[in-house]
Amino acid sequence: MGAKISIPVRRIDAKEKAGGWTKYIGDYQFKNLQHGRFLRSERARAKIIEIKKPDFPEGYYYIDASDIPSSGKNNIQMIKDDWRVFAVSDVKYIGETIAVILGPDKQKVLDLLNQIEVIYEDLVPAFTFDDALSCKGGAVYGDNNIFSEYLLNVGNVDNAFKDAVKIVEGKYETGFQEHLYMETQGLVGAWEDEKITIYASSQCPFYIRKSVAVTLGVPVGDIRVRQTTTGGAFGGKEHFPDVIATPLAVAVNKVKKPVAMIYDRIEDISFTSKRHPSKITIKTGLDKNNNIIAMDIDTLVNGGAYESSTTIVLQRAILHGIGVYNIPNARIRGRAVATNTFPSDAYRGFGAPQGLFAIEMHMSHVADELGLDSSDFRRKHFIKTNDITITNAKMHDEVKLPEMFAKIDEMSDYSSRVKKYTDDPVKGIGIAFVNHGGGFTGNGEQAIIKGVVKMKRLEGGKAGLYVSVVEMGQGLQTTMRKIAAKELGLDYEDIVYDNPDTDIVPDSGPTCASRSIMVVGFLVQECAKKLKAKWNEGVGVEAEDVYKHPDELIWEQETLQGDAYPSYGWGINVVEVEFDPVTYEVKTTGIWAVWDIGVAIDEIIMQGQSSGGVIQALGYASIEKCELKNGAFMQHTMADYTIPTSLDFPKVETCFIDNPYKYGPSGAKGAGELVFDAAPPAYAEAVQNAIGKRIYDIPVTPEMIMGALK
Amino acid sequence: MKEIKFILNGKEVSVEADPLKRLLDVLREDEKMTGVKEGCGEGECGACAVLKDGVLVNSCMIPLGAAEGSEIVTPEGIRETDKGKCIIDAFGDAGAVQCGFCTPGMMMATEALLTINNKPNESEIREALSGNLCRCTGYDLIVKGVQIASERGKDLW
Amino acid sequence: MVDSYRPKDLKDALSIRAEYNPQPLAGGTDLMVRYQSWSGTLPLFTKSVMFVGHLKEMKYIKKEAKDKTVTLVIGGTATLTDVANNPDTPEVLKKAVLSIAAPALRNNATLTGNICNASPAGDSICALYALDAVIVIEKNGGSREVPIMEFITGPGRTVLGSDELVTAIKIPLKASSVNDFTKVGTRRANALSKLSFTGVADYKNGRIDSIALTFGAVGPTVVRSVELEKKLIGLSGSELKARIPKVIDDYSTVIVPIDDQRSTAVYRKKVALNLLEKYLKELSSHE
Repeated sequence: MGAKISIPVRRIDAKEKAGGWTKYIGDYQFKNLQHGRFLRSERARAKIIEIKKPDFPEGYYYIDASDIPSSGKNNIQMIKDDWRVFAVSDVKYIGETIAVILGPDKQKVLDLLNQIEVIYEDLVPAFTFDDALSCKGGAVYGDNNIFSEYLLNVGNVDNAFKDAVKIVEGKYETGFQEHLYMETQGLVGAWEDEKITIYASSQCPFYIRKSVAVTLGVPVGDIRVRQTTTGGAFGGKEHFPDVIATPLAVAVNKVKKPVAMIYDRIEDISFTSKRHPSKITIKTGLDKNNNIIAMDIDTLVNGGAYESSTTIVLQRAILHGIGVYNIPNARIRGRAVATNTFPSDAYRGFGAPQGLFAIEMHMSHVADELGLDSSDFRRKHFIKTNDITITNAKMHDEVKLPEMFAKIDEMSDYSSRVKKYTDDPVKGIGIAFVNHGGGFTGNGEQAIIKGVVKMKRLEGGKAGLYVSVVEMGQGLQTTMRKIAAKELGLDYEDIVYDNPDTDIVPDSGPTCASRSIMVVGFLVQECAKKLKAKWNEGVGVEAEDVYKHPDELIWEQETLQGDAYPSYGWGINVVEVEFDPVTYEVKTTGIWAVWDIGVAIDEIIMQGQSSGGVIQALGYASIEKCELKNGAFMQHTMADYTIPTSLDFPKVETCFIDNPYKYGPSGAKGAGELVFDAAPPAYAEAVQNAIGKRIYDIPVTPEMIMGALK
Repeated sequence: MKEIKFILNGKEVSVEADPLKRLLDVLREDEKMTGVKEGCGEGECGACAVLKDGVLVNSCMIPLGAAEGSEIVTPEGIRETDKGKCIIDAFGDAGAVQCGFCTPGMMMATEALLTINNKPNESEIREALSGNLCRCTGYDLIVKGVQIASERGKDLW
Repeated sequence: MVDSYRPKDLKDALSIRAEYNPQPLAGGTDLMVRYQSWSGTLPLFTKSVMFVGHLKEMKYIKKEAKDKTVTLVIGGTATLTDVANNPDTPEVLKKAVLSIAAPALRNNATLTGNICNASPAGDSICALYALDAVIVIEKNGGSREVPIMEFITGPGRTVLGSDELVTAIKIPLKASSVNDFTKVGTRRANALSKLSFTGVADYKNGRIDSIALTFGAVGPTVVRSVELEKKLIGLSGSELKARIPKVIDDYSTVIVPIDDQRSTAVYRKKVALNLLEKYLKELSSHE
């Protein structure tokens, strides 16, 4: 890594956080604070016949859909607005909000809640992909339970299959995953200066502002959203806070007092969105030289009871569906289905990890079927610059996968270990190759977001930075300052960048999609250049920059054709494991990662992203089991939904390869999700090499291994 | 309700509360010690870690009545000591802090470890932090932070 | 809201226990989770509570010798950390205790609390069954000692009377040359058990002189069959080796686990028997 900006600085927020000075949403003191708790559906699919309520003492309230002002509506405006603020007359999943109970004393609120009795008439729920596709109990959504369907095609797949001398097929499944940010969901709504202010642990203050305004039927300017320091999010605080903010705002609008809706952990695990489960079938045709000539993929994701962002997640799953390979004839059918499970939503990777797990395992299985080395086989099919992608556009990135493979091979001794472990009864090593499109899909940055950033010269040689993207652990408070400071010739500590407040900052878009550094950071860099040019005009001078899509990138949203992403991050992971034939437990003995993220804005912050992303992904691949029983998650405590501890995995050995991107700040590309993508298939391949049986599903539990070895 | 006394960060405090109230809630609500965080409420995550009579405990699992007469130390009681500053600086330099929600608890676990063992190796550090969950870092840079604190602070513990 | 008591000493505690029958609470690490309510509200105890963790008279671990037998006596408020750090703690108990949760919890949880919680998945209980631990019970004006297998009668159920307290655990320190405690958890550390296994045995003159085999989380209580163990007494290593398949068969009838959110019945049973087989093979090679 050679770029000067990559040289690490001490994170601006480190000291305040480490010492416990930093305030999170639960740490603020609000005068006359009321506590709210949701009355939730206990049934997956039912009619509400009656709600029997006790008498509410003075100061205690029952808030439901009837409290929404006539100008508003009972919908949560996310990407779609089908999710209801409050269930009325029927419920569609366990945990659906029916009402808010609130008052000054938590115990009394709880007692009131426990006295409410909801009489249901049960309907037949649908939980699985098969239930959804057969419309069990009647369609949950539309007339066929299909939220959205796409067909991507490159070349002529049917003809190519006719020429195939060998066909290999596999079916791959992934489960729910809970974000398990250390700080639970939490928002406080307050009535301040005759308007509603929402204090939120959130990735996207402007999303909350929009959804609350639509629910209440007021102009967005009537709602103020202030992000509070966010204790982890990982996609879980992208759209989901809207599900809390909208009923909360209805309550505050009625009682005109501050109301806290802060989840405890059991509530958070039981009743928040999870990563979309997936079921992906891949069929591959090969010619006599073992080249892939055709691939046919069928992708299903479970969106749960409401669509929310599911269609965009599906898009990402299929846009990453053939991974990092050049497949001349490929077809992907993608469908997002509706069920009576808790609505699935954004989670780091946003569909890509599901698609990439399937394709990487499949490539490994095809190689195995052909008796070829799995890495050699995959490397032979690597996409190269200017090759045609699944969306019939040219791959614009300079693809450095061969160089990256050489690097990880040197670090991990992969090639010799893979041979050494071939006949080893307990050891195995696996590899995975991935890319991840940075920013919104296609021209979304232009068509949907159109991000704006602002800067201002302040007193004392300082500069103010006004953006709506948030610090949530990924280091933005530091990296954004570094980007701005570099252009202005200031110290990064001289940039003022507060937690966003929608009354102060322009809308630079949400903190998601690996866009903050690549897209918003680039705007910050360009804005800083403008401010620098005007600097001598004096204190108070301002500059602004607005997103402009690169002219050379074209996109057709309806058909998903063209340049799917402005650029890609690229990655390779190697994982080494040893399995215990007595207990079927797997011990990970080595983890290596090589990334091309353009340029790292800060080497240590990126090491933290690499280790953190990889370990979170290894949890997904191994121990993070989240199962449904009659529509409810079986794991609802941190003891039962287990995430990795400091003893579960060894250190992640990380290396970055520079490959500057011209529209990224100092050449930086997206990174936050990429670091999640490669570890699950690398781990699963390592386990399959150790046990000598193919793995098709994650999490790879000891129970599953025992079954495979039977 | 009962009046219960204990020592908090070196000073005697008296709290009027139900003895079954969680020490965590007493510290956060009655004493405004918000450096103590609630991550799980069931002793799994360590975000609420404090020292009780010198040893690391989870304050979410201790009823106030069980802490009567004890010496309780929260992050607020550590952060401005030489040891606390050493750990905070080491965490800062290592890149150990991301979202920060687990970090005060990590500081307490580090203080407890270095008090018993001021030259821990990597596996001893990982063992000592195993009750403090972190979802951001994958632990590598926290382990490094503890190593730096142990090297720099060798005369402190 | 329930009453709570903080006795000044053990005698006081026994009087309060006799008079009000409160729930004793030592470390609180099991009870505070079991009765946990909405964050920020009081735990939902169903009856009054008596704090006992501070009672110094019971915070000890000592060795007692009597008629050639040496017994380790662990006081009622000794924590899991105290037990793990004591040099005289039998190896399997030390391993079991260190497999529980993480340092912060072990610093607070007591061994007595673990036993009274009587969880079939209690890791320390699995080891204590194998070690023939005896529970010392006191009440005002009397005391009795009960073997742990008789003390625990079901999940969460014990023979402890409403006026009694467990004041100590006695572990006879017997020779045992082949020891194993294995916990299979939901992750590599800070985990709850999917199952656990303890094996302790000793040879005398080339023949098995004592043996105990126990299994946690595979039934309503920890599983130990003294009857099946008796069949192994007196065997030589090679005789045992020949008998292993039969022993596994025998145990497969007494291990009847269930499916739950942590694992499956099939896995629990198979792995329990695998661990048994591994241990018996190891044992048979030792004579």
